[in-house]
Amino acid sequence: MSTAPDTLATDPRDRGGPAQSLLSINGLVKHFPVKGSGFFGRGGVVRAVDGVSFDIRKGETLGVVGESGCGKSTTARLLMHLIKPDHGEIIFDGEKVGIDLPLSEYRRQVQMVFQDSYASLNPRLTIEDSITFGPRIHGMAETAARAKAHDLLARVGLDPSRFAGRYPHELSGGQRQRVNIARALALDPRLLILDEAVSALDKSVEAQVLNLLQDLKADFGLTYMFISHDLNVVRFMVDRVMVMYLGTVAELGEGEAVFASPSHPYTAALLASMPKMDPSERTIEAPLTGDPPNPINPPSGCRFHPRCKLAEPVCATIQPSLTASAPGTSQAACLALVPQSGHTLAARLSLPVPDIESMLMPEASA
Amino acid sequence: MSNLVSIEGLTVTFTGRGKPVRAVDHVSLEVEKGSVLVLLGESGSGKSVTLRSLLRLHPEKTSKVSGRIIVDGHDIMALSKTGIGDVRGRTVSMIFQEPMLALDPVYTLGQQITETILRHENVTPEQAHARALELFEKVQIPSPERRLNAYPHEMSGGMRQRAMIALALACRPKVLLADEPTTALDATVQIQILLLLRALQRELGLSIVFVTHDIGVAVEIADKIAVMYAGRIVESGSVADILHTPRHPYTQGLLASRVERAKKGDRLKTIPGSPPDLTALPPGCAFAPRCDKTTAACREQVPSLVTGAYDHAVACIHA
Ligand SMILES: Nc1ncnc2c1ncn2[C@@H]1O[C@H](COP(=O)(O)OP(=O)(O)OP(=O)(O)O)[C@@H](O)[C@H]1O
Ligand SMILES: Nc1ncnc2c1ncn2[C@@H]1O[C@H](COP(=O)(O)OP(=O)(O)OP(=O)(O)O)[C@@H](O)[C@H]1O
Ligand code: SF4
Ligand code: SF4
Ligand SMILES: [Mg+2]
Ligand SMILES: [Mg+2]
Repeated sequence: MSTAPDTLATDPRDRGGPAQSLLSINGLVKHFPVKGSGFFGRGGVVRAVDGVSFDIRKGETLGVVGESGCGKSTTARLLMHLIKPDHGEIIFDGEKVGIDLPLSEYRRQVQMVFQDSYASLNPRLTIEDSITFGPRIHGMAETAARAKAHDLLARVGLDPSRFAGRYPHELSGGQRQRVNIARALALDPRLLILDEAVSALDKSVEAQVLNLLQDLKADFGLTYMFISHDLNVVRFMVDRVMVMYLGTVAELGEGEAVFASPSHPYTAALLASMPKMDPSERTIEAPLTGDPPNPINPPSGCRFHPRCKLAEPVCATIQPSLTASAPGTSQAACLALVPQSGHTLAARLSLPVPDIESMLMPEASA
Repeated sequence: MSNLVSIEGLTVTFTGRGKPVRAVDHVSLEVEKGSVLVLLGESGSGKSVTLRSLLRLHPEKTSKVSGRIIVDGHDIMALSKTGIGDVRGRTVSMIFQEPMLALDPVYTLGQQITETILRHENVTPEQAHARALELFEKVQIPSPERRLNAYPHEMSGGMRQRAMIALALACRPKVLLADEPTTALDATVQIQILLLLRALQRELGLSIVFVTHDIGVAVEIADKIAVMYAGRIVESGSVADILHTPRHPYTQGLLASRVERAKKGDRLKTIPGSPPDLTALPPGCAFAPRCDKTTAACREQVPSLVTGAYDHAVACIHA
């Protein structure tokens, strides 16, 4: 599943071959000015994305998880060029976006399915018109666009004869999300960014859509960036996973490794927050308290330190960067994993998970 | 055991465009005081419509509602416009998956909560503000005083959800209707909101009707679960019974398709087909076209919900 499908080899748009990342992000920064405070003063911006670098490999599914407000959607919007980065570059299959590769060309190749299936469909357009909208703007003839829309509707499991003429409010959430997927595929993108695309769906439909996404990925040679708060779904879907915290990357690695033994204390707490599926063993205390701190004035040093049970004084002074504590493990931004960082646990190469969990029990004083 | 909410034979048909849509079909439910009932089901199964019926929120011109709904002694369908206005917010209030639907983008959260309190109750603006602050503390919003001055778009998803819960609790309702309130949240915040709702249920003696498609969430919060399919309740019972001994083929299918049980890259087990077109329901059991136990008898009449031991009820002639 993690291997690139054959279609990649034959995609005429492929430039650098399978070894070259489809997307390389370097030092992406996006700060939003805060209303009512000085635009230039320190503290006057929301550091929504604050120095994020990662690659998306051809044919892979990269998962992105992290709490509300940590910058997942902003990262996605930056990748879509819906908003402009303050700093950082986006390289698509070897070409700098906006420099070597014109924006209009890039936009066709990267499409997105949003979290809110209702808001992303125009309420006054029929389903069919919503799907044909993009291709027609890009010059496709009306009959061809309609034929394509009907194909795609059938492909995502919506009978075109029943659904093509309907309006968004006449569909349930799952049906609308299938329409959004069909619409995103109408321009034959290479990268599909799925931002909470299955979150609003019930489980039997979710299972079908996840199967559908895996099929579409193989059939169309797609690469996915899969943003979701549902860790079970992420575990199931992704090849690699990126854990974000307050606009930065906390951990990045192979999905299986991260889920089996998280390296970063935040990842461990996140995984411990999953529902228990046992009414006699319900969660009594939340593994993490509070929402993430304010991205307007993020904590100094490691941004997780005010909530981290492994925090030591050094954590408030040095911002850790992504490091792999041992070959083959994930990369994590935690001083406890960096030899000579000054953290007392740094001598140990890997932290046993139960240890981390017992130390993560919330404490009021934090 | 007093039922705060009792629904009998609720049927909702939408008649706006084209063929009538029977979104809810003879649903009967009871919610005890201080307990949590979860409505679990697939997209379009009628969960939200059932919930909205409790507040009579359907468009009058394009919907037909029959049956009986009693909430804390109020006969919801018989109330006058003023009567239902009084019930909304004060006896029953509602929270949504998308808090932006409940929150007004152009007013601060503090303005919205104090305004709501002032509209319903005879208190001074100062008292209303104090209550708003108290509510923000109760829903555990950090720096509550400052957050009261924030606009909804300035907050992250989890914080908006808390603000919406605070707004819903502004007039001390007895019943809280929750429509997928944690669906768009990440796990750390979801579990906090579920624990918060459970705490509010205990402290305030709230009855909660909680709609979700996520069985994991249901297991964390429910006392009882009612599973809906195509506008009907197909199974109901205690959380443990539904989870460990599901009897309806649909519930069994739902549990089997869970991603938790699959290995990465596997094809997930799915329930074949898709939910029926509510304008053209099959005769008899609505699940028949997707069910692997279907016999001719299943298509003859709608199976009724039969209650067995421990209030475990199922609507399937072969269960
Ligand atoms: N247009 C904007 N103006 C000001 N602040 C913004 C804007 N868009 C996002 N933010 C802020 O940037 C931060 C990151 O937001 P973002 O939407 O990327 O988070 P997210 O990880 O997608 O969260 P969620 O899980 O809730 O969707 C948040 O603090 C948010 O409030
Ligand atoms: N105002 C309306 N006019 C016409 N049909 C409607 C209206 N509201 C809901 N429906 C239809 O009623 C059925 C039940 O909808 P409902 O919103 O209750 O589903 P749900 O179980 O909440 O699903 P979801 O999980 O997608 O929210 C759907 O087929 C929907 O299209
Ligand atoms: S650097 Fe310190 S505060 Fe940050 S995660 Fe590691 S131990 Fe915790
Ligand atoms: S009544 Fe028949 S069709 Fe319906 S769920 Fe039971 S066995 Fe299946
Ligand atoms: Mg987001
Ligand atoms: Mg709903």
